[in-house]
Amino acid sequence: MSKIQLQTLVQRVLRIPPSYLVFISLFLILWLTRPQMLNLNILGVFLRQVAPLGILVLGQLLVMRVKSIDLSGGGVILLVNYYISSGMFPGASLPAFIFLAVATGFIVGMFNGWMIAKRRVSAVIVTLAVSIILIGMVQFLSSGSPPGNVPTFLRDIYNTRTGVMPNPVIFWAFLTLIMSLFLSLSVYGRFVTSVGESAEAAHFSGVPVERTVIVAHTMAGVIAGIAGLVQTASIAVGSVRIGLDLPILAVAATILGGVAFGRGEGGVWGPFFGVLSFSLLFVVLTIYGVGEPGKLVVQGVIILLAAVFYGIRSKS
Amino acid sequence: MTIIVEMHGISKAFGHNQVLNSVSFSLNSGSVHALMGENGAGKSTLMKILAGVHQPDAGQVKINGQKVNLLSPRDALDSGISTVFQEHSLLPNLSIAENMFLGREPLTRTGAIDYDAMIRDTRRALDELGLDLDPTRLVSTLTIGERQFVEIAHGIEADASVMILDEPTAALNAADVEVLNTSIRKLCERGKAVVYISHRMEEIFNICDTVTVLKDGKLVGEQAISDLTPNVLIEMMVGRELTSLFPARSTMAGEVVLELKDIQLTENARPLSLTLHRGEIVALAGLEGQGQQKLSRALIGQHALFSGQIRVKGVILELPFSGITGIRRTQKLGLGFVPEDRKEEGLFLELPILHNIVIGLHSRRAAIALVRKYRPVVADIMQSMNVKAPNANARVRSLSGGNQQKVLLGRYLAAKTDILVIEEPTRGVDIGAKSEIYRLLREFTEQGGAILVLSRETLELIGLSDRLYVVHENTIVAEMLAIEATEHSILNAALKTDKKAHYA
Amino acid sequence: MRKYIDILTRRNTRQGAWGFPLLVFLGICVWLSFNTARFATIENAENLIAQAMPLIIVAIGQMLVVLVGGLDLSVGAVISFTTAILSLDAPTIVLLPVVFVLAALVGLMNGLVVTRCNVHPIIATLAMQYMLLGATRLIRPVSGGEIPQLVLDSVSGEFFGIPFPVFWGIVVVLIAWKLLYRSRYGLHLFAIGGGMASGQTDAAHNFGIAVRRNIVLAYVGSACFATIAGIFLAGRITSGDPNVGLLFELDSITAVALGGTQLSGGVGSLQGTVIGALVLALMSNGMNLVNLSPFVQTVVKGGILLIVVGLQSRKKMGL
Repeated sequence: MSKIQLQTLVQRVLRIPPSYLVFISLFLILWLTRPQMLNLNILGVFLRQVAPLGILVLGQLLVMRVKSIDLSGGGVILLVNYYISSGMFPGASLPAFIFLAVATGFIVGMFNGWMIAKRRVSAVIVTLAVSIILIGMVQFLSSGSPPGNVPTFLRDIYNTRTGVMPNPVIFWAFLTLIMSLFLSLSVYGRFVTSVGESAEAAHFSGVPVERTVIVAHTMAGVIAGIAGLVQTASIAVGSVRIGLDLPILAVAATILGGVAFGRGEGGVWGPFFGVLSFSLLFVVLTIYGVGEPGKLVVQGVIILLAAVFYGIRSKS
Repeated sequence: MTIIVEMHGISKAFGHNQVLNSVSFSLNSGSVHALMGENGAGKSTLMKILAGVHQPDAGQVKINGQKVNLLSPRDALDSGISTVFQEHSLLPNLSIAENMFLGREPLTRTGAIDYDAMIRDTRRALDELGLDLDPTRLVSTLTIGERQFVEIAHGIEADASVMILDEPTAALNAADVEVLNTSIRKLCERGKAVVYISHRMEEIFNICDTVTVLKDGKLVGEQAISDLTPNVLIEMMVGRELTSLFPARSTMAGEVVLELKDIQLTENARPLSLTLHRGEIVALAGLEGQGQQKLSRALIGQHALFSGQIRVKGVILELPFSGITGIRRTQKLGLGFVPEDRKEEGLFLELPILHNIVIGLHSRRAAIALVRKYRPVVADIMQSMNVKAPNANARVRSLSGGNQQKVLLGRYLAAKTDILVIEEPTRGVDIGAKSEIYRLLREFTEQGGAILVLSRETLELIGLSDRLYVVHENTIVAEMLAIEATEHSILNAALKTDKKAHYA
Repeated sequence: MRKYIDILTRRNTRQGAWGFPLLVFLGICVWLSFNTARFATIENAENLIAQAMPLIIVAIGQMLVVLVGGLDLSVGAVISFTTAILSLDAPTIVLLPVVFVLAALVGLMNGLVVTRCNVHPIIATLAMQYMLLGATRLIRPVSGGEIPQLVLDSVSGEFFGIPFPVFWGIVVVLIAWKLLYRSRYGLHLFAIGGGMASGQTDAAHNFGIAVRRNIVLAYVGSACFATIAGIFLAGRITSGDPNVGLLFELDSITAVALGGTQLSGGVGSLQGTVIGALVLALMSNGMNLVNLSPFVQTVVKGGILLIVVGLQSRKKMGL
């Protein structure tokens, strides 16, 4: 094989989002060591656990495509959780909670987007600050102790299944499909690609750069609100710590899925498999008896390796 | 006279683009050596190799007879080569003295930076140029002209034996040019060698003694200036009669499509007015940085006008007019803006040709609309513009400069724009593609379009346009027909006002 | 008047606007001494200094990284990690060098990943934060262990009536001052950051500055300052604690930005950073004195961060 052929082959391989490779290897490990785990019933339960993360990733990948980041998801999820479990809105129905979650996400996301696009503040700082403000608020309102119970009807919906697949997982896959279609079929998707590649060039070709970024953040906020609903439904009792590490995991899964800052080769399904990989990873780590600290280390290593992989690739 | 620098058989390629092809160049002490060539001829690259910014693929550099490897600008400076680049290379948040000694700061016995010595030596170097600047001032507070002199002082302080001046007068006014010429002559008397890159013929004949001409990355020749006339020199640079590059001018001029009235570019600038008709190519000429770009960018809201009125096809654009949404406004009116910096502001280098062209069509549609493929439109554009690429999915980065420029222009043609404002239509484009681009622009106006163009290359403006406005000190000082204009008459028109201003 | 406003906003210097936070600092001091009985006491002053010291130290380190246009989100984890290591059962003579070596390694890795692997500083240091948090919890899942006597003594004694934490402050500030304003390295940090902020990415390199090496050293410095803060905190809380460093990354960034340092790099000052950290500590101190819930304090701090950073203008959009 000539040198040039080898080079293009290497480039081809580097183009595959790492999440696919990680997913396949983890799957093989499970299949070789614990084949009994690989039945749809058990996997469905594992997948259901990561559904909130999977939904949050949809927003994260959108903002990362426009060279931004959203770390405020933890605060939004916590706030949504507080609305529902504190009894703040007694007797509220499901549509009311959905409205509250979406409205909260919308406002937070729009604020993030405005600060980032108009005021040009560093996205990390804005969204981290917003997150700690929201967390502080919830902790203050609940005086630091878990608020109360989650209404049973949410829990019941969470436990429904279609066939063997839990409905939250189907909901997640459905949202992913919509996002995928939206980005590939709408003009907005082209705007996102343009802004991610070069905000300057996008501006000069007439793309509304600031609006694109604000809309991306607003959508990410709404998606975080929805993730908050699903996350809340997954637990019986409210919490003041729930979902705090989800934004970071979402960043990790997105990078793993081949969406680095400004680059979107991994599309929407790369990050989807990134989340699946995390799901399998937690299973594998649990099987091998790795505790909470070990999981943190592994998460860090994965973020680092995925980022290094992209960094080195974009340099060459 | 001794030979200080010898560059032999230098070749350099960036990707597939062979920029220099076995070029040789030598420099004598006490000489001012002009390096001439069109944009993209390779003169900047050759000098960047001498300055240690780029390393050659082949060939060698000898300084004072010693073979050297210049791996960084620092190496070059240590070997006695100092460069004043076109782009700013001083750090704005550091003082003049700190910039002057950055990377080789004198230390006191305790190991601290010796600021006293730095300030003393800086003042001396500035004095030598006759500049009265406080060495502790931050560079960000200096004018562009002052920065240029600080860079020259940097070379003097470092006791460089070779000074490379890349378009040093581009941003200077007439008085500063005189100061610069005096200091260049002083340097020569002390046996230094100066490489002088400029587009202005007059300066070349005024101050240089030798000239080396490059064309398409190859050496054309080296001659004493006294053996040349400007016309011969131009022919050496272009390689043929310049006029053959440009398509015939047009005679028809339709209705007014763009009208600027009583525009004040800045608070103190005199008001200017300008009209552009259908079927016309109008150029903004003049010395560099005199407000041409402010004027072109004001049309898309990127430069805030002080006052005045802009009318596009009869529609008045109210001021102030936002830099954020301005470009979308004018685009809707059919005015396209082709920015100067193709790679940063114009194209999405990592994305396919398809995306680069179609984004111009998509950007005027609603964000939630469904994408259209536009494949036939793009195929049409690529064919009619003769874009050389395997297919529409090729990444723009892989194309040559000329083809990249065609893709950029194609974006506006596809979007059925009928007024184009173009900054630097042929920067970094080889000669063949240049004449193709000139032809395309002319075809565009013949089909009823109108073009406002600006460029650093005055000869290009004269050859390409029908009518010229001379811009100086943020206003229009003269209007002339291109057919009657010469480089000399443009310069005169610009500088006449300078004198008036000085004696007024 | 105009002149004083210019001094406060400091547009044409590379010191950043530190005059304004100084005014805020003095203002809060005056307000607190009139409105609370306990503020203007020697005891509270000592308390305040001890409270502010870790943040001052971390913020100075953070500033090195911010000056070259980066951010270090791993400083909080370095602090927790340091206290955990110090609480191990080993001789002091071993523990102290070990924490510094480990911190230097952490900084080295951050710096190398950022400069050599082209990874965004936020991602690189975030990954490091996770790894360190994991490692810390492996060593010390919950607070506990014993801190070497030497460390304990060094933070809670006094010398001629001057409490030891003051000496810590003086030593750290002196080192940083020498580093930033008297050494070539300091000037080069400003040069690199100035080039980054103005988009002249090659300018510093063209002057012959070893850009990458200097950036790596900034991350090493940041980690080392964080570990010094960790040693100090270990002495104060007398045990290893996996959560003690929580939120230090945000607080240090807030302090740095509050002190007028531009997050895009190249503009900032030591005095500004110290004042920024003091303002934050003072606010916590004040809020404690008026019995405000710690959760509300978090909200207020987040709000301040948003405001100060929101007031800085930059061209770049996004991260």
